[in-house]
Amino acid sequence: MTDIFSGRRVLIVEDESLVAMLLETILVDLGCDVVGPESNIEDGLNAASGTSRLDAALLDVNVAGQEIFPVAEALKARGVPFVFSTGYGEAGLPEHWRGNPTVQKPFTEGAIRDALMTALNMQRA
Amino acid sequence: MKTLAETIDLVAAFDASPNPYMLLDRDLRFAGMNQAYLDVTQRTREELIGVHVMDVFGAAEDGPDEGASQRLEGSFRRVLETGESDHLALLHYPIRTIGDHGEAVFDDRYWSCTHTPIKNEKGEVTHILQHTSDVSELVRARPTQDGPRSALDEMLGGGVFRRAMEVEADNQRLETERRQLSDVLLNAPGFVAVLSGPDHVIQFCNEACYRLVNHRDILGSSVQDALPELGKQGHLDFLNDVYETGEPVMGRQRAFTLQHSPDGPADVRYIDFAYQPIRDENAQVIGVFVQGHDVTDVVLAAERQKLMIDELNHRVKNTLATVQSIAMQTARTHEDPRSFAEAFEARLMALSHTHDLLTKSHWEGADLRSVLEHETKAHGIGRLTLNGPLIGLSPARALSLGMVFHELATNAAKYGALAHGDGRVTVDWCVVNHQSPQLKIVWTEVAGAPVREPERRGFGTRLIERNVRHDLRGTVEMSYTGHGLRAEFTLPLETEA
Repeated sequence: MTDIFSGRRVLIVEDESLVAMLLETILVDLGCDVVGPESNIEDGLNAASGTSRLDAALLDVNVAGQEIFPVAEALKARGVPFVFSTGYGEAGLPEHWRGNPTVQKPFTEGAIRDALMTALNMQRA
Repeated sequence: MKTLAETIDLVAAFDASPNPYMLLDRDLRFAGMNQAYLDVTQRTREELIGVHVMDVFGAAEDGPDEGASQRLEGSFRRVLETGESDHLALLHYPIRTIGDHGEAVFDDRYWSCTHTPIKNEKGEVTHILQHTSDVSELVRARPTQDGPRSALDEMLGGGVFRRAMEVEADNQRLETERRQLSDVLLNAPGFVAVLSGPDHVIQFCNEACYRLVNHRDILGSSVQDALPELGKQGHLDFLNDVYETGEPVMGRQRAFTLQHSPDGPADVRYIDFAYQPIRDENAQVIGVFVQGHDVTDVVLAAERQKLMIDELNHRVKNTLATVQSIAMQTARTHEDPRSFAEAFEARLMALSHTHDLLTKSHWEGADLRSVLEHETKAHGIGRLTLNGPLIGLSPARALSLGMVFHELATNAAKYGALAHGDGRVTVDWCVVNHQSPQLKIVWTEVAGAPVREPERRGFGTRLIERNVRHDLRGTVEMSYTGHGLRAEFTLPLETEA
């Protein structure tokens, strides 16, 4: 079942290094290759709109006081599925982005795995 | 069909009437009167034409008192304001006449007056026609203390007089109530307006209402003409609904965009409002009563509060995620629960110390030296030497550097210079490259005994490297001399607070 993650290239955008390290640890344990982590919107956009292969992304909604949505738009345009991570949960998202897989901080390894799986399956469907 | 004016000479008829008539212009100056009026007032036409009515018949010593004079003038004003007839059923109004020996005396008189507006073809009031009846005889015929003189006297005099007195007392009471109500509405804290007819013509507007529309001259105009921006915001539809259905329309905290002038800048105000039908005696809707409150301050305060709560929630959840990360990563390098607990607790305390520092400055930032002192004081002040200028750090950078120095100090205490009694640590910092200012911090351990480089890169080292690169956007070089660790940080100096 976790084969779905093996070798998947997953981008992380998260401004807090300790939280980024946690996400990185969780993703590596799942078998993913981590891209980033990027700590700001500008670097996140560069990574999201580059040409290198991306299978999924984990996006902190509030990155150093800025909203992540330009990065989300860039990923959507490329057809890369993503999971939002936010302290507010899905209710904190603008109407436009509700329904997208979301994990609420603080998160468990299981929550990250389930949300990523949903995102990848949604893309396949 | 011939009109009345073509069949008879109206002026001649007016002059021949036994009833006293006089005509005032809009400035309340005499414009005309008939012979009966001149007879009853004992004046000549030349004395009166063009003279202000109150200059001739104003309050005077031994004459009409101030109250009577104000009631008479008030009646004229009402005709001008409303365009409708006004009545004074009984007015005690002495007038000046010539006494037996040619001297001026005041003759005590009672009058019943009707004031009728005379309008031009545009419907504007140009003149007021006064019809007065001298009812002094009726008043004087009222019963005296000697008792009624006859049934006829009673009927003609006392009864009629008493009814006239009652009617006039009622009128005065109603007028006082109307004025009080009007004053209350004018000065009410909420805004109040009265609209009439299907076009919602603004008949009344209080002070708060004028403030809301930025003191535009809206009285007497339709809502569409006076406040066209409201039509675009759906309010004309609301008013039409109220007028057509008789059902009130209410709104809470609705944004109104109101202009200062027809083409001027616009303000957004948040308003609680109610549009209620005004009905006539047959329950037909004849207008709309508008009232409400400007609640902009309340709405803005609530928005600010929501922003603050959102920010607090963001920070709390991020802090919890940070603590979770520390717990999980610490657990990976400590198999023994006791050593896990010690390391975890120490890291938690490091985070907490920097929070304390930031709380002192209301989360505006902290000084680099204070952060260093806080994170290293557990290892003995005398063993660390801190040299450098005052450097302000933002909350995020203070938290990051706090964690970094905690890891360095912990490592030094476990494996480095501070592990033995005579080791020391020096921290030097300065600003270099003034074109693109950078903060250089050098952590140098000088151990009493030789120190070996650790074989394994622990979580502490990874945390330092990651923090510097990810959060501080700088670089760190860590090297081991025979005396211990030397770590050199190069960080861009913040330009923002």
